[in-house]
Amino acid sequence: MTLLEIKNLKQHFPISKGFLSEKKYVKAVDGVSFTLNKGETLGIVGESGCGKSSLGRSILRLAEPTSGEIKFKGQDILKFNRKQMKNIRKDMQIVFQDPYASLNPRSTIRSILEAPLKIHGIGNREERMKLIESLVEKIGIRKDQLDNYPHEFSGGQRQRIGIARALTLNPDLIIADEPVSALDVSVQSQVLNLFVELQKEFNLSYIFISHDLSVVQHISDRVAVMYLGKIVELAHVDQLYQNPLHPYTKSLLSALPIPDPSQKRERIILEGDLPSPINPPTGCAFHTRCPVATSDCRTETPALREKQFGHWAACIYV
Amino acid sequence: MGAIRFIVKRLILMLPILLGITILTFFISNTIPGDPARLILGPKATPEGIERLREEMGLNDPIYVQYGKYMYGLVQGDFGKSTYSQQAVSEDLKRYFPATFELTLFSMFLTVLIGIPFGIISANKKDKIPDQITRFMALTGVAMPAFWLGIILLLFFYLKIGILPGGGRIDSWVSPPEAITGMYTIDSLLTGNWEALKSSLIHLILPGFTQAAVTIGMITRMTRSSMLEVLRSDYIRTAYAKGGSENRVLYGHALQNGMMPILTLMGMTFGHALGGSVLVESVFSWPGLGRYAVNAINYLDFPAVMGVTILIAVLFITVNLIIDILYHVIDPRLKYE
Amino acid sequence: MLLQVQNLQLSLKRAGKFISILDDVSFQVQKGETLGIVGESGCGKSMTALSIMRLLPDKAKLAGEVKVGSEVISKLSKKKLEKIRGNQISMIFQDPLTSLNPLHTVGKQIEEALILHTNLTKKERKDRVVELLKEVGLPRAEEMVKEYPHQLSGGMRQRIMIAIAMACRPQLLICDEPTTALDVTVQAQILELMNKLKQENDMGIIMITHDLGVVAEVCNRVMVMYAGKVVEEAEVNELFQRPRHPYTIGLLEAIPRVGERKRTLGSIPGTVPSPQNLPIGCRFADRCKDAMEICRQAQPKTLQLTDDHRVACWLYDERREDLKDDITRNQESKTTLSH
Repeated sequence: MTLLEIKNLKQHFPISKGFLSEKKYVKAVDGVSFTLNKGETLGIVGESGCGKSSLGRSILRLAEPTSGEIKFKGQDILKFNRKQMKNIRKDMQIVFQDPYASLNPRSTIRSILEAPLKIHGIGNREERMKLIESLVEKIGIRKDQLDNYPHEFSGGQRQRIGIARALTLNPDLIIADEPVSALDVSVQSQVLNLFVELQKEFNLSYIFISHDLSVVQHISDRVAVMYLGKIVELAHVDQLYQNPLHPYTKSLLSALPIPDPSQKRERIILEGDLPSPINPPTGCAFHTRCPVATSDCRTETPALREKQFGHWAACIYV
Repeated sequence: MGAIRFIVKRLILMLPILLGITILTFFISNTIPGDPARLILGPKATPEGIERLREEMGLNDPIYVQYGKYMYGLVQGDFGKSTYSQQAVSEDLKRYFPATFELTLFSMFLTVLIGIPFGIISANKKDKIPDQITRFMALTGVAMPAFWLGIILLLFFYLKIGILPGGGRIDSWVSPPEAITGMYTIDSLLTGNWEALKSSLIHLILPGFTQAAVTIGMITRMTRSSMLEVLRSDYIRTAYAKGGSENRVLYGHALQNGMMPILTLMGMTFGHALGGSVLVESVFSWPGLGRYAVNAINYLDFPAVMGVTILIAVLFITVNLIIDILYHVIDPRLKYE
Repeated sequence: MLLQVQNLQLSLKRAGKFISILDDVSFQVQKGETLGIVGESGCGKSMTALSIMRLLPDKAKLAGEVKVGSEVISKLSKKKLEKIRGNQISMIFQDPLTSLNPLHTVGKQIEEALILHTNLTKKERKDRVVELLKEVGLPRAEEMVKEYPHQLSGGMRQRIMIAIAMACRPQLLICDEPTTALDVTVQAQILELMNKLKQENDMGIIMITHDLGVVAEVCNRVMVMYAGKVVEEAEVNELFQRPRHPYTIGLLEAIPRVGERKRTLGSIPGTVPSPQNLPIGCRFADRCKDAMEICRQAQPKTLQLTDDHRVACWLYDERREDLKDDITRNQESKTTLSH
């Protein structure tokens, strides 16, 4: 069952350059479309500046998208007014990268977790406490720690609290924006395991945004690769990692250091850096770094097409 | 190219600011109760006499007409005539301003020369004895009222041990140097008049230091906190990792990076020093603009008040423009906009 | 032997008290070899590097011996150490943007190392700077000399840092998480560059990282640190194939790997003990699934398992049975005394 359907979503941020000069835009998200099923995890992966975080925010309308369609449970939420939006936000929550920056340092964990319930007027105090207590136990925080402040917890515990806060309203969709990037390996695996357990228990759908290819592979059912505001490849996780089609995905995967010294591979090492999203290259945005680009790639903008069953790629040579 | 456009733009932007200042000063000084004509003619003046003088001075015109007349003169470089000194205000300013400017420059010079190195030492030796001493001195400097410090210094250095003069700009037996800028030290330097240079420098010490005490304290504290932040930066670690010595890192890397807030404060203190010179000038009988301004206010000498205000405003804006340009010279990340 | 570090002990003052950051850290680096130091945040891997260079914060207590070649540098005066920093030993850091002085041109920052350590003339230095920029793979080197760090991309900035570090052809290059702030594709470029430079210059590299992928990619030997102590060290293949310390095993199981998908990752329960509150026994004991009684009572000694494999863990210590008796006896006598 489709939970979320994104169609041609655009998020262009104007950058002002004096009042007389020409207006320029950062095309953070530039025509992204995908669907997400109930209980599914879609991983979104890409390098810094590819627009993956902006995409997460615009789906929740934390930044107002420039155009496009966001159908959540069949309704286009971009047409919603404030009140409708507040209601629907119960069902879509976000978990941020830095758990410390997103938790109010002056509030106890109890009041941090109670706040969303209060805002939406759910239950009386007693019921709310009951819910919170059962929730923290699931995420691995003890009940007697509820009256502590965020600084009294470790990074991993704080991220657990961030997850618990997202879960209080019993959402259908959680957008996790680099949720384990700030954590150490041993703690990262604890939190990743928690994500998997919670998904099973609450039948959650995740949009899991990360720059880390191995983390995304671990957690996702399907994966979208972004480059300069566009999805360049989208496929089931095994298809994407075993048989990448787009040259960018291929080079990303081959650039990833593998934690096994006995495996030596041929590398595709890309030249140069990510171009600026203010002035993206014409045609296929990847052509400036692509090892197989031709002159056609400079002029022709490739559309994201289904090249194999369930395997989409945006490249004219695939 | 960008720099020149930037400066021209800023100079053009100065005009509306100055216009605003003239309007404010003009209208505020005209609402002060009292009649300048009566003050000039004294207690024995007849009402007819006062009326005649008022008519002559244009005081009977509606206030906007008065303002218009004043501005008409001003754009031609005419600041009007001082009702008190009976001289052109521009002549008065020419006479008194260099003294104040010299004193202010000297105190700023002391501020930079003492405040910045002490701030750096203080930051580099954080919480150690040099830091404790510097912080105590800086706090004392900021907390001590200038007139009180001036009197104490006079009592000690002039009356008690008598090694420094008690006031004025130059010894009475030394003739002032030929006027070029009006600043004695600079003029005597330019004309090679060493006797006058020595005498005028000695006269600058006490008032200069008195005026600088507060600003030295402020700059020291600002330098310390700015440097503390800079010294924690990664590029300072890089500089040490390259093999740089402590002095090289402090003065070659850290100071430049810590300079922005120090410059900002310097711009502000410069204005403060110009405007706040009244007390110091009184204590040291310094024939400067501050004393002239006080007299002008006491005698409701509106043209003089206006002249002083405009001059200080122009200077203040110019100094801040210079500081803005310095920002850009120091920091390549800033763009002229 | 290029670098020899013996019994490094480091304490830093935090909130008025000295707390132990490094405890008995010893290791060596050979010419032409890359030693990886891995561990999670707070394990002391960066502090180890800074201790070698003595780039420590104020109020640090450092003991132990650091030898470069035959020279003991840990006892050198400040002035003499400055001659070694950036010359025989160079260092590059995690964040190339904040590690470069924002107000100086790229050329000036590279040239500074040459001014400090060589007698080259101005002209020769200028040429050398351009040469270095080309060496680290930067295009249009001549123009880049006049540019500022903010005008460059992250990858270019890290190349500049490498050019500064390489300016005086160091024998040892210490890299503190050099690719952590970079994107995967740029990371691959930088790692390739470092391998190239190592081969060309026959220098030793210490690669500090939390990323086991990077370790596998570039290191010859690996040292694993936990809470300020070295827990295991081995040749790289040996370590990945036959990890011995339960912490190393846990780490290797905790990383998600491309190519093999399991639903549940191995994980190490709990968190690292804070340096203010270290246990008397093995520092990993509280999180270790194999912990024994003795692990909580005494610190394990470092055991040389084979020529290229050492580990600090009671599991491999044959003396543990005897010692256990000793310790219990000791404790019994203590308890009887207190009665």
